[in-house]
Amino acid sequence: MREKVVEKTFEALFALEDLRELLRKTAPFDLTKEQVKEAKKILAKVRKTLDEIDGELK
Amino acid sequence: MVQTAGGFEVRAKEELFINLEPLQRGGVMPAEARKAALSYIDGYSTCDYCEGTLHLIKKPPIADFLGEVAEFLGMDFAILTNGCREAKFAVMHAITKPGDAIVVDANRHYTSYVAAERAGLTVYEVENTGHPYFQIKPGGYADAIEKVKAETGKLPSLVLLTHVDWIYGNLVGAEKVGKICEDYGVPFLLNTAYSSGRMLINGRDLRADFITCSGHKSWAAGAGTVGILAIRKEWTEKVIKPSEGYKIKPIEILGCSARGSSTIALMASFPFVKERVKHWDDEVKKARWFSSQMEALGDIKQLGDKPHNHDLIRFETPAFDKIAQKHKRKGYFLYDELLKRKIAGIKAGKTKAFDLSTYGLTKEQLKYVVDSFKDIINKLS
Repeated sequence: MREKVVEKTFEALFALEDLRELLRKTAPFDLTKEQVKEAKKILAKVRKTLDEIDGELK
Repeated sequence: MVQTAGGFEVRAKEELFINLEPLQRGGVMPAEARKAALSYIDGYSTCDYCEGTLHLIKKPPIADFLGEVAEFLGMDFAILTNGCREAKFAVMHAITKPGDAIVVDANRHYTSYVAAERAGLTVYEVENTGHPYFQIKPGGYADAIEKVKAETGKLPSLVLLTHVDWIYGNLVGAEKVGKICEDYGVPFLLNTAYSSGRMLINGRDLRADFITCSGHKSWAAGAGTVGILAIRKEWTEKVIKPSEGYKIKPIEILGCSARGSSTIALMASFPFVKERVKHWDDEVKKARWFSSQMEALGDIKQLGDKPHNHDLIRFETPAFDKIAQKHKRKGYFLYDELLKRKIAGIKAGKTKAFDLSTYGLTKEQLKYVVDSFKDIINKLS
């Protein structure tokens, strides 16, 4: 269990780094439609990973 | 902005602002390197599988990485240091004796001088050409070497050239200085803190005996500080001399240098750096475009090489200094106005002259910066 939770914790953190990268590359402008789509894709990945962690903790 | 548990404000300069700080642009890390550094954030994280000294570690593959770096720089050997300054000092300490003379350029970073001072050396300078270009002419090195010879009866023990300086961003013809050093038989140290990692450098072509690099300035490696010392093989025995008491530990870097996430950041950024140096010409084009747009605003003059050959640019800016004379915030108005427009990196209070870097920014971002400067002039002149 612990190994999976640790792996997924890093996976979620790394996905958030991808979101951070998007924010860095586009500062200080508002995100375009394409960029919002990309951000949402990252968020979906983070949510899925967090759900997997949650599942392991039950 | 949210606070971290330690009470520090989260630093989100790259996420919220266009950051023009010349010290920082080349050290902005790509996502993959931040991920790697994050998991190696604990102290001595590189040393789980220690081989006795940092540069020999196989897991993570530090030893292989240093082999690749030496090849990338056109040198024979590379070792990690805590920064570029430590690399310069290591060479000076290893190959000179206190009281020896060395030749450096007048545009050198202060750490070149301080390193020489710590090693007990006398510094002879190659002057720059003065306002407005402030260039270092390679031929000045022959004159300085002759001066050392005439005054001390000996050749200098070392010549140091700042490939690109930190004030004007001037790029010096290093191969010409290398040729002069070769002709005199004087070892040549090329400080590439603002060049390698941004542009392709080949030490063999430049006839450099030593190349010093800054990970956090130009190799997209943050997470602390880290440098590289690259050496030609004829110098390795002298510069990478082991301790007598600890045979595996090189004396000049006190055994091991950057023992943690900064080394991992440097390694993880390396594929990104190898790719980005191929696009250096585009960076120069952007810098030149930006410089011309700034000058077109009026009462602004770019200093240093013209046309410019680097992203680090210094401007004389009477246009802003005139506003500062009458503004209630004096010279601080510019910093405030830029911050309002989400632009950071120009030092607070500077309006007579300032420097900035365009490195890694998009044309859209740079156009926004130019428009912001224009807007400030129109609003406050």
